[in-house]
Amino acid sequence: MRALALAFTLLAVTPGAPLAQEPPEAGTVGPLIARRYLVERIRLEGLRRARPSEVRRHLTLAEGEVLDDAAVLMSRLRLLQLGWFSRVESRVERGSARGLVVLVFTFTERNTLVVSDLVLGTTGPQPIYGGFGLTQGNFLGLGLALSGAFVYGGRPAGQPLAPARFAVRVAFFDPELVVSRVPLVLGLSMLALRGEEFRCSDPECSAFGGRYGPAPRLRYDRVGGEVNFGVRPGPFERLFAGLRVERVGAQRVGGTAADPGGPEPNVRQGRSLLTALTATYDRDTRNDFFFPTDGSRLALNLVLGSQMLGGDYEYSRYLLQVESDFSLPGGHALRVLGAAGIVQGDAPFFDRFYAADFAYFSVGPALGRALELNFSTDSRYDAYLGMAGAEYGIPLWSGAGFFHRGYLALGLRGLWSAARPRAGRTHASSIPVSGDLALRLDTPVGSFNVSLGYALDNAL
Amino acid sequence: MTRRSRAGLTALLAVAAAASGHAAPATLPSALEVNAGHLQATLDLAPAFPADLQKQLSNGLTNVIALHVALLPERGGGPVALYGREIDVLYDVWEETYSVTVKDPQAPHGRRLVFPRFPELRGFLAQARGVDLGPIEELGSSRWVLQTRFELNPVSKELLERTRQFITNPAAAGRTGTPSRSVLGAMASYLLKSADTGAEVYLFRSQVFTAREVTRR
Repeated sequence: MRALALAFTLLAVTPGAPLAQEPPEAGTVGPLIARRYLVERIRLEGLRRARPSEVRRHLTLAEGEVLDDAAVLMSRLRLLQLGWFSRVESRVERGSARGLVVLVFTFTERNTLVVSDLVLGTTGPQPIYGGFGLTQGNFLGLGLALSGAFVYGGRPAGQPLAPARFAVRVAFFDPELVVSRVPLVLGLSMLALRGEEFRCSDPECSAFGGRYGPAPRLRYDRVGGEVNFGVRPGPFERLFAGLRVERVGAQRVGGTAADPGGPEPNVRQGRSLLTALTATYDRDTRNDFFFPTDGSRLALNLVLGSQMLGGDYEYSRYLLQVESDFSLPGGHALRVLGAAGIVQGDAPFFDRFYAADFAYFSVGPALGRALELNFSTDSRYDAYLGMAGAEYGIPLWSGAGFFHRGYLALGLRGLWSAARPRAGRTHASSIPVSGDLALRLDTPVGSFNVSLGYALDNAL
Repeated sequence: MTRRSRAGLTALLAVAAAASGHAAPATLPSALEVNAGHLQATLDLAPAFPADLQKQLSNGLTNVIALHVALLPERGGGPVALYGREIDVLYDVWEETYSVTVKDPQAPHGRRLVFPRFPELRGFLAQARGVDLGPIEELGSSRWVLQTRFELNPVSKELLERTRQFITNPAAAGRTGTPSRSVLGAMASYLLKSADTGAEVYLFRSQVFTAREVTRR
């Protein structure tokens, strides 16, 4: 009786009455899978920026073929994975004759121009510097990626006649370059940079008491580029080989009786040429670039600089970077990170490891570089690197607004680096452990990282 | 009505929408009964249907509706009974009929139906009858809830995995192996982050009930 009372209270539906009618008995036999229609035409609707020919390249069925629902679904997912569209819908319409159908895809395009770099900082030698980078993920609607970034610092503090420090990088990427029916991946990048590295006898340049104008330094510039060709050995793998050429200029300036100059970063004085072969293996199975909860990434990068290639530097550089992501209860995620690197031979300083680049922050003058520009007084570059860390992610929200996803990241890293074998840890990171508390935001124009570690790095 | 003896509808539950990626109805009507010693539910799924259901199911391609019902202890823990039903719906643009294949414990290999008009198809889809949740005796005196998961065109994780290989490589923007301190913009993640695969998922959770409240005829 109690249950019946509950029933009437909650639903006011008469007990025993059916909630819906049974299907008609007359229509109980019919084929579902036996249908075999031919795709007479494929129509694409809603394309404004993406080129129809580029979209068709990613379809897994063609006009004239038998309509296959699984192929249509696969095509939809492939198109979504390209990142050009926020929604892809498909439907079938009648064709010009019985047995023929028109397959229609309807697209909602998304913004593919995103902020890839945003730099703002201040140091004693460079009171203010900043930079900006943009990436177009579907350049000209052809599926090409084009990115550009710059960092500008202006003249260094106390050096009114010195040239401004800046770095500009442009990169182009073709994910599907077909040469003689062989699918290749093509990457091109160019870099122009003018910077300075201090060569004081101590990393703080303490002899100058914060007035860095007369401090000894190495003024240098770099102009060059790299071309890479790659293949995809497996679904999530890329193997690149490339050639890098750079013209490097360097000149010692400054210095006083108080500090005439100490050890300096390795580079040829005057004009020199760097030529190197590069190779990269990249395997990325992460399920999400912003907040991965599954998968891993492994990137191994080799650089072989040789005078045999016409350059002035004879060296090799090996860097392995790994990441593994795990899903935790409550939607949380754990990211485990690691890196190991070795540089052998006469590598220029900018191809060695700058410890602060791999730490959340460093206690002391070192500061992570921006587009390979070092705005700190610490110019110690190392030949050996080891880093291990973990990051715990707590999702905060997921919605449809501008900041459509956000999570809190708690990170901890241990870092070891050394300039020489058996030399032990350098002072570049006098406390080898660094941590971070960051708010990561995902927006239609890019992902943003509001980091306490970065603030600490500027303050310490 | 089926040949099975009906104990009658003895408890009706308002099933509240607990979580959904889309706008969810406030309640999902359902009813419980005891049939041949088994707890069985009848669910009215109509409130879970999206507004454009007819448009979706009439697109000429196979649409999948998946229904999973779990009987869970109120205090938490894994389900003690699970029920699954998968319905494939295909609208034939030339025949102008809806072909349906239903796979559930009663017909694991599927039974086929044809509906000439959408209202009849909708009426069929709206009702899940005879959802068997196991012997009523095993419920004891504990308190239970029904959790219902309704999915329209679910995309399996495996399929997404297979298509992830087509993601354009964003790492090519910079020189490989060269970290750069980017203060605010960490990286360009412009890909699948908010892409809509078209799948719709609704999760409902019933009010708490006990075996005693489900009276037997």
